[in-house]
Parts: sequence; C-alpha cells; structure tokens
Amino acid sequence: MIAIIIIIISLFLDGFLTNLLPYTGNSLSFFTPQLTLVCLFAIYPLYIKKRKKYYLTSLVTGIIYDLLYTNLLLFNGTLFFLTALLVKKIYKNLEINYLNIIIYVVILIAFYEITQALLIMIFNLVPITITKLINKIIKSLLLNIIYAEVIYFIIKHLPKKYRKINLN
Amino acid sequence: MSKEKNLLKQKRKLIIVSVLIAIITITLSLNLNRTTTKLENLFKSFTIAIDKLLMTPYTKIAEENSFNQDESYIIQKNINSTLEKEISELKDLLDINKTMTEYTIENATILSRNKSYWFNTLTIDKGKNSGIKNNMAVITSNGLIGKISKTYSNCSEVKLITSDDANYKVSVSIKINDQDNYAILNGYDQDKNLLKVTGVAKTTNIKKGDVVLTSGLGELFPAGIYVGDVEEIKSDKYDLSKTIYIKTKQDFNSIHYVSVLKEKNK
Repeated sequence: MIAIIIIIISLFLDGFLTNLLPYTGNSLSFFTPQLTLVCLFAIYPLYIKKRKKYYLTSLVTGIIYDLLYTNLLLFNGTLFFLTALLVKKIYKNLEINYLNIIIYVVILIAFYEITQALLIMIFNLVPITITKLINKIIKSLLLNIIYAEVIYFIIKHLPKKYRKINLN
Repeated sequence: MSKEKNLLKQKRKLIIVSVLIAIITITLSLNLNRTTTKLENLFKSFTIAIDKLLMTPYTKIAEENSFNQDESYIIQKNINSTLEKEISELKDLLDINKTMTEYTIENATILSRNKSYWFNTLTIDKGKNSGIKNNMAVITSNGLIGKISKTYSNCSEVKLITSDDANYKVSVSIKINDQDNYAILNGYDQDKNLLKVTGVAKTTNIKKGDVVLTSGLGELFPAGIYVGDVEEIKSDKYDLSKTIYIKTKQDFNSIHYVSVLKEKNK
C-alpha cells in the first residue's frame, strides 16, 4: 500500500513539474523530472520477497504513465519493466546507502534515456544527437537524485514490517 | 542434473518470449500513425479525467498568468471579418485552396505536456467528440504552433512545429515587397532556438524582420497563419540556396490555451 501511495505521488509530481518547468528545445530545466522512474528504484525494498508483484507494478505504472503523459501505448510499460529488471540486479549485487544511490540513479536514468533514444533512432522517428542525449541525461539528474534520497530516507525510517530488507 | 538443464531451458525460453513481446509492443507503440482502438479510447477518457484532476493546481496557476482568452478570440474574429472581403477577392486571383475563411475555431486548454521529450507534443482537452481530426492546424494568438497528430474521444495530441521530425514539413511564404516567396519549414534548430526554412532561392532578397506566413499549399494548413519573423539568413554550403531561421513570438514553454482550425465543410 505504501509503495502504491509513493507511485501515485510520483506520477502526480512528474506531470505537474513537467508542465511547470521548461521542457522544450534547449531550454530544458536542470530540474527535469523522472520521478516515477526513480520511485520504482526506491520502492524495491518494499517488494524484495514479492519480485513478480514488483515487475507487475512496474509494468502497470509504465502503462498508466503512457496513458497519462506520453500517448505511446506500452512503450514506457516495457521500458519500466526493463528498468525493474535492472533495479533487481542492483539490489541483489550492490550495497545501498545514501552515497551509492547517487550512482545508481545516474545509471538508471542513463539506461532509460539511452534505451529510449536507441529505440527512437531505430524506428527513425526523430533525429537524436549524442549531445542532445547527454544534455537530457545531465539535466535529469539533480532533482531525481534528491527525490531518490528522500524516498530512501522515508523507507529506511518505516517500521520493519513494511520493508523486507535491512537498509544501511 | 537434468532438472537443472530443464530449468535453464525454461529460463532461456522465457527470456526469448519476453524479448519478442518487448519488440512487438515497442513496434506497436512507436507506430505513430496507428489509429486508436476503442479500448484505448476508453482508457484514455478515464485517464484524461484523472489528468484534469491532477493538473488542477497547474491550470489554476496558468489561468492566473495567462491572457484573457475571450478577448483574444474577439480580436481574432474582428480581424477575420475585415479581412474576409479582401481574402475572397484574392482567392479568385490566386490558386490557394485553403484560406482562413473556410475554417472555424475550436478553443482548447492544454492538459499536459508530453513526457516524451523527443516528440515535442502536447495534449489538449478536445477530441473526436468536438470534431477534431488529424492534421488540423493548431494556433495561438502568437501564430501557428503545430498540428493535431493523434485524436481520442475527449482529447488530442498536438505535434509542435519545434519538433525536429523529418516528416513534418510546412509550406510557408515569405512576403517581400507584397510578393510571396514559397519555401519549406522543415525543422527546428535547438541551439539557436529558431525554426528552420530551407530551399529559398539564392536570388531572393530576404531581410531580417520579413514576415513568414503559411502558404496554403500542400493541403495541410490554410494560408495566412503567422509563423514568425526572419531572424537569420544563411547560404547553404554549395551557395545554391538560402536557409532562413525564423523567430516565433510563441514561448513554447508556456502555452496554456490553443485554437484548432476546423474546416467548415468537413
């Protein structure tokens, strides 16, 4: 239930901030939100023994995200599912703490943006240059790292019965 | 041992099936010209209701900061009525199929900006139920901003002219000494923040500040919609034609209300 609340808040903030901050051309804001994506990373401790449920939640979140904000049916559903697989690998093999989260969020956003850009380039929909892609990734880091840290802090301070793993 | 092998085989099969499903869904979702299904329309109508609710704080802020829409509409109407006579005379002389008099205006509110940064699209709160169709021109008081790229029952997607899509070309005319010089608007320079018009004859005497309007050719947009002013002129690398950069009056980061041009006879 807590995970669902966090996802709903993230979805709302994502849309709200995208509309509020500059999001076209080269006037992209340094606070470009990818909050839904980041929240999927941060809520994993709440799903550690229910991996199938976590994958399903990621897929459904992606589909809702597509319906609300992109009009690309299942595109982000698939991307969020792939991201969920990556998140599982991170939590399984690497240590989670306030400092490491910064690196993991960078990896996640880079993975998401590069995969998205590659798919768009394969289907020859929009010309994407490496400079534009790097610019998009860099400008998506600041706000999302802060958001991931905040959710990590909240989950860390939840009673143990809610989270399934110990966090440092 | 054989159990382990079976498990490994099953895992491989699962991975292959997952990859295939992912490829199919992505191919389907990235087909931008597909028609929306009834189920999709139903889900979209439901999510649009949620979206409207979620975006209430944003639209409230936007309303406070924006212009009076009714006033702008009245100004547009007045300009249209005085120009109507002149246009009808010109129509007889020129071979322009579509002019503004053949259109009605459907005002709409922006619901959300598309989260897919690369596609440069917006969602508006009017759809098929309001008579909106694909490829209709979308304008604001500052001129042309894009076209309808996808329609649902209660909302539509607007593709902005700032989208750097190779298939998105608009026929424009640059007025010089009351003469029309036709060219193609086919891109957006992100570094300069200017629209790009190519294929202008080298001999054309274009100056900074010349007005660029839609030409009405190409059957997509009506003639006479303001696009922007010439900001920069460059010769191409072979010095055969000119590339013109246009500055629009529209701030594409703060669009709150738009008007969709609907053809009267459709």
